[in-house]
Amino acid sequence: MLIITLFKGVPARTTRVVTIGGVLKREEMDIVMNPHDFKALEAADYIKRSVGGKLIALTMGPDVKLSPIVNSLFDAPIEGIDEGYVLSDRRMAGADTWATAYTVAKGIRKVVDVHVRPVETLISMVEGGAGTDELIGYCRELYNSNMLPNAIYSELPTIRNSTVTAFAKGELTREETLRRLRSSLEELRRFVVVAGIKTTDGETGSTGPQVAEALSEMNGGTIPSLTYVRDFDIHPEDGTIIVERKLGDLFQRLRSRLPCVLTISPEYRSRVPSVRSRKAALLRNYRCKVRRATIWNAGDIDADPSKIGLAGSPTIVGPGVDVGAPQVRKLVGVTKVCLRRVERFSLDGKTYGPFERGTKVDDLPHEVIEYLEERGDVGTFTLEMLIEEVFGVKRVVVERSG
Amino acid sequence: MSSNDLGDYRDVWVYCEHVDGELIRPTREIIAAARSVADLLSMRVVAIVLGYNLGDLVKEPVYYGADKVIYCDDHRLKDYLTLPYTSIVSDMVIKERPWALLFVANEMGRDLASRVAYRTLTGLAADLIDLKVEDFVAYTPQGKVTYPNLLAQIRPDFGTRIAKIFTPRHRPQISSVRPGNFKELPRDERRNGEVVRWEPRFSDDDFKVEVLESRYERRKETGLEDAKVIVSLGLGILRDSKGTVRNPREAYEMAQELVKLIRERFGVKAEVGASRALIYAELKELEGLVTKEMQVGQTGKTVAPDVYIALGISGALQHKVGMNRSKKIVAVNSDPNAPIFEIAHYCVVGDLYEVLPKFIEALRGE
Ligand SMILES: Cc1cc2nc3c(=O)[nH]c(=O)nc-3n(C[C@H](O)[C@H](O)[C@H](O)COP(=O)(O)OP(=O)(O)OC[C@H]3O[C@@H](n4cnc5c(N)ncnc54)[C@H](O)[C@@H]3O)c2cc1C
Repeated sequence: MLIITLFKGVPARTTRVVTIGGVLKREEMDIVMNPHDFKALEAADYIKRSVGGKLIALTMGPDVKLSPIVNSLFDAPIEGIDEGYVLSDRRMAGADTWATAYTVAKGIRKVVDVHVRPVETLISMVEGGAGTDELIGYCRELYNSNMLPNAIYSELPTIRNSTVTAFAKGELTREETLRRLRSSLEELRRFVVVAGIKTTDGETGSTGPQVAEALSEMNGGTIPSLTYVRDFDIHPEDGTIIVERKLGDLFQRLRSRLPCVLTISPEYRSRVPSVRSRKAALLRNYRCKVRRATIWNAGDIDADPSKIGLAGSPTIVGPGVDVGAPQVRKLVGVTKVCLRRVERFSLDGKTYGPFERGTKVDDLPHEVIEYLEERGDVGTFTLEMLIEEVFGVKRVVVERSG
Repeated sequence: MSSNDLGDYRDVWVYCEHVDGELIRPTREIIAAARSVADLLSMRVVAIVLGYNLGDLVKEPVYYGADKVIYCDDHRLKDYLTLPYTSIVSDMVIKERPWALLFVANEMGRDLASRVAYRTLTGLAADLIDLKVEDFVAYTPQGKVTYPNLLAQIRPDFGTRIAKIFTPRHRPQISSVRPGNFKELPRDERRNGEVVRWEPRFSDDDFKVEVLESRYERRKETGLEDAKVIVSLGLGILRDSKGTVRNPREAYEMAQELVKLIRERFGVKAEVGASRALIYAELKELEGLVTKEMQVGQTGKTVAPDVYIALGISGALQHKVGMNRSKKIVAVNSDPNAPIFEIAHYCVVGDLYEVLPKFIEALRGE
């Protein structure tokens, strides 16, 4: 079972973001993993521990920033990922949700293909009547490079009857072997993608469903997306998953076919996998972790350049507008305001006013404020004045305009 | 869909979400939003309604401002399911070619809008707080290109900034709009509109997900969204400014007392809200009193009352985006550098345990 968990690098501090023409410049910021994606990782880890498989992290963005994050996930507090991929290419920069979904889906397709192809080759070798030595040789190589699950071939002492070993020992007929290999292949094709619900830098829950849609298009068949998942039970043997999710007030329990894409709700809490499932889980596992992020560019994942990055994005972020701080800000105990209405007056040849009661005068020249203070017209803004201004009956009942 | 004939695309569509035979309030709000945009461009507002046994519900969007309703009534649409709903809405879009399509930015709207936008090969702008019609000028290697009369899809950006998202070369322009940013139009049964039935075409793939159980769980209503005054509590209620641990129940009861006084005195709707940190702290003293429904912010409610009083709330970005459109923001915080002061109209650097009683006293007076 391939368990692919998506994550996104987001700016560590959202207040100091470099934007040039509205595009985030991720290379110039400190990047951390989107906090919501930890839930996805937790869910993916639960799948790995309960049913087994290879836990793969996939992300898109500048590899210099993302590879260290990927590398830290091998030793995450949970069991940790087995493999990590970073889709990194200058041409991928500036992608909106559409282009991101396309690119990430291309990456997922490649991950799946890379794992499926050797098994397909193995099947055609068995079909073609390949000899035992040839098969074992091929399997050993794949096994050592982490490309075959224990169910097909393993050198672990605890696993005695992996398919190819059993065939080599004469314990399985060629037909029986093919049947088991084909069912392993089917399971591999029924991957699961696990994503977080949203990101802290703007995206809101669209990546999961859009990746599913992009994969459906590439796959030639619909791949379901299940959003806001709070709990689930996965059954790779028959290719189904049962999820509980909540869309606002709508609670749903759904049964979906695999492959599928899950987005995990912050309310998800992983359970403890049952002992019963451990053995089966071991059979779906791979030899070991590949402890270094693999970096793929657009060419590696066969992405259409017109569909990635800024070029492939239907939406464009226009120039940002600073709505700024409120025009008038009053600090209790600090701000100087008029205590009563002040008529027009002159001081040192300049005229000022008139000012309404409550007007903030901090911006007037210092001498003018002092003069008004001496006259008793200006004083420090007090809590009592605040209460009066805020709860002045007129203000509170003002209807909002259209 | 990308095309050279973008001019063929007309009308502003609204995807209508309904519960128990009623359009939900945010749907009524986005019909009003669509109306304001459509009127500027002499386009129609078209509402789409999907479900089973819809009955008279199909006319409701017209009463709230739509010119036309396209509905699909089928037993397979009884419960919301992403795939068949996506198929129908996408088929409608491809055939009818709307200029824009709005969803409510809630869980269901986001779920559906995402797949529909990808399938119909167009852009999605999520979580909008405002819509305008504007020209967009793009500077390309080939020179300056002006796209007239686009939907300016306005959403909060970082800090005190807003961003405008444009979908210049693709149609429809798909957006999700956050609840609480537009005012619904008054219901008017005299309004007329065309109501058209749509016959769905499903594929087997649309039912790769089956419903085992689907029901609405009514949440405790807080009515935060239409309150005129909100008194919000944050983690600052745990200690007073001398550092003495306080029973948070004290602050909670004072806040309740304050909203009660405001209701009585001014006859307006006033409610207590909370920051996420306070809710997630799951304090024993506040069990059942400060609940998730009261959360203001990015992952909670978006509110824009006349008065928002933030007590012991630091003003994290995720909190601010949920309340920065309030008309008057009063912040009480013992830390003069708390970011909430950046957006507050009234700043009180001080202890909420001293300030809150003064508010209550003042409103009780006379
Ligand atoms: C993805 C994501 C989504 C989020 N969504 C939301 C959301 O929707 N809503 C939300 O609110 N948060 C949200 N948050 C959390 C947010 O980042 C902050 O952690 C949270 O808002 C902080 O809550 P607070 O202001 O109550 O607590 P704190 O940040 O701990 O602030 C407490 C404040 O109280 C002040 N204080 C202490 N004692 C007193 C006193 N006696 N009198 C006066 N002032 C005092 C302190 O100076 C401090 O400023 C989200 C976070 C993430 C990562």
